[in-house]
Formats: sequence, C-alpha cells, structure tokens
Amino acid sequence: MLYSDLKGRKLVDTTSADTVGKVDGFLLDPATRSIAALEFKKTDHGSVVVWSDLTAVGADAVTIGGASVVVDPDDRLADLATKDGTVLKKRVLSDAGEDLGTVHDIDLDPESGALLELIVGEKKHRTSVAGARLLGVGSYAVVVAAE
Amino acid sequence: MRTSEIGSLPVVTLAGDDVAQVKDVVFSADGGAVAGFTLAGRGLLSGPLKKGLTWTKVVGLGPDAVMIADDSALEPVDTVIAAAASSSAGAGSGGNVLGDRVLTDTGSDLGKVSDVVIEYDNADGGPCDVVGYEIEASDALKASSSKGNKHTRLLLPLPDTLAVSSEHVMVPSSAEGFVSDDLAGFGAAVQAFRTQLKGGS
Repeated sequence: MLYSDLKGRKLVDTTSADTVGKVDGFLLDPATRSIAALEFKKTDHGSVVVWSDLTAVGADAVTIGGASVVVDPDDRLADLATKDGTVLKKRVLSDAGEDLGTVHDIDLDPESGALLELIVGEKKHRTSVAGARLLGVGSYAVVVAAE
Repeated sequence: MRTSEIGSLPVVTLAGDDVAQVKDVVFSADGGAVAGFTLAGRGLLSGPLKKGLTWTKVVGLGPDAVMIADDSALEPVDTVIAAAASSSAGAGSGGNVLGDRVLTDTGSDLGKVSDVVIEYDNADGGPCDVVGYEIEASDALKASSSKGNKHTRLLLPLPDTLAVSSEHVMVPSSAEGFVSDDLAGFGAAVQAFRTQLKGGS
C-alpha cells in the first residue's frame, strides 16, 4: 500500500464507531525497516498510534479498538518524528556515495507495517528501492545499500 | 574520478547524518595513493575541523558523498597526516602535486599537473590508487602527440610508485606513449602502461 493512498484516511474507533482522526504521517524506524507508528490529525487527544495498537489498516479506514491507544509520542517516537527522522522528500544516498534522488513515496505492508519499497526520483525517472536496502535515516539523507 | 571532484563533498554516516565535508585530499608520502581527507564543518561559515578521515575508514566514495559507518570513523587530523607520511618508504614529499612539472626520466617536460586521477573499488576495501595526472600539456608534448592538437589538458598514466618533489614529478619516458584525452578509456591505458613497465623490467 502506498503511503500517498493512506494519507488522509480516517481513523475509526471500533467500540464507538466514531471517526477520531485522520492519517497525517508515518514514523519509520530504520532499525526495523518498518513503520513504528502512524501520526494522526484532528484527534481529541494524542497524535500517534503505535503500529501494533492498530486493529486494521483497511482500504477505506484505519481502525483502532478504543480511543485510548491514541497517545502522545514517547521519547523514541518523538525522535523519529523530528525533521531528521522524516523520509519523504529527503535525498537518498547509496553507501557507495551516489545520490539516487529524493523519496517521493513509500510502499508499506498494511499487515505488518514493514517497509516494502522506497519510491525514489522525480516523475520521469522514478525508481524503486527495496525496503531491505535501507540502512539509515538522518539529518542529511536516507542511506541505502548500493546494488 | 578526479580528486578535484572530491573537494567539498559531504561526509555522511550510514545513519544518514552529514557530519563534515571534505576540505582536502591527503596523499600518501609517495603520491601513489589517497591516504585520507582533512575535513571542514558543514555550512558556509564553519571552519576546518580538528578531525580527519583516513581512507581505510571510508565505506564508500561516490560522486555525491563520502560514506562512513559512524562518527567514530573520524580521527584527529594529525593522526591522519602522520599515517599518510609513514605509509611508504619513499622519500618524496608527497603532499601537493598540483602545479608540479612532469619530467620524464629522459629529461623532457610533459607539462604541469592540474588534477589527480584516482581509481578505487568500493566493494573490496582496497587502497584508493592514484593512477594518473591530468596535465596541461607542454608544447613539446603537444607537438609529439596527435591528441595534443585538440586538447591542452591530457591524462597521463602513472607507474605504481614514482618520485615526487615540490617541483617535479618524475615519470618513465614511456608514459608519453600512453597519454589519453578520455577519462572513460583511461583505466585501460593505465593497465597497458603498468603491464608494459613490469614486462620491461
């Protein structure tokens, strides 16, 4: 599932059937190469839901089993949420020192939250980089293993 | 790759942070390899750093960045320079060859060094070999080389080891025959030249 498709999807509490937020971002953990949490806007309290607390990431909505899992980011998640931790629009460098372009989108597994692919480059030269090649995300670049 | 392209490249950790940028390339004492780099801080206003980077700690060198594993790859700059000075038995001064005159062992002047061409393999962790110089060809070389008519900047392959001083770089006279004007085909010229040297000695 592309993040661009997921963005803006509503967050529904299955116990109350209320819409409690909207997908506004993701926090990628480079160590596990998976999504650590999703960020939401228009929530009453808190702003993130840890991936394992999500009931489902469906085609039309993201569901949770109670509004209490929407929390404020803890220290680890707050680190990922800074500018250094963001992935979208950041330049991609291979470990051989080659600039591959900027991250346009990511493809993620809606079940596990694993990063499947980074979609890199501009419209005309779009390439995909397998998620398994991700090495790190920092202030300057997203680093991936060279092919 | 030309060493002039390395200047000001960012030094980036595998975690994606830019920790420095390349200030200068440090050559080993015999001028035959890149020993490491001196570094400057990132950004226009930041000055030189007291840390340097030895070549062995470089994970990957490419057209857009120098990659290192993490911060611990940086060492005090004196260590880097000392390691470069002791890295060979050669008595040459190493250091800056830019502007040196290239003399053959038969005493003809081929021109002035304007850039250094290096070759390395990111995969094998081997040395970063200096394989040639870009030279501003002297009139004598231009006259003798058919390629010199069109270009004044030519690529000169180097032997594995050579004598370097602050004035001159000494090369075997046979190097003249392998002068090239094309970086893409230069690797083959270096191979051919070095093979010929070994065969002849």
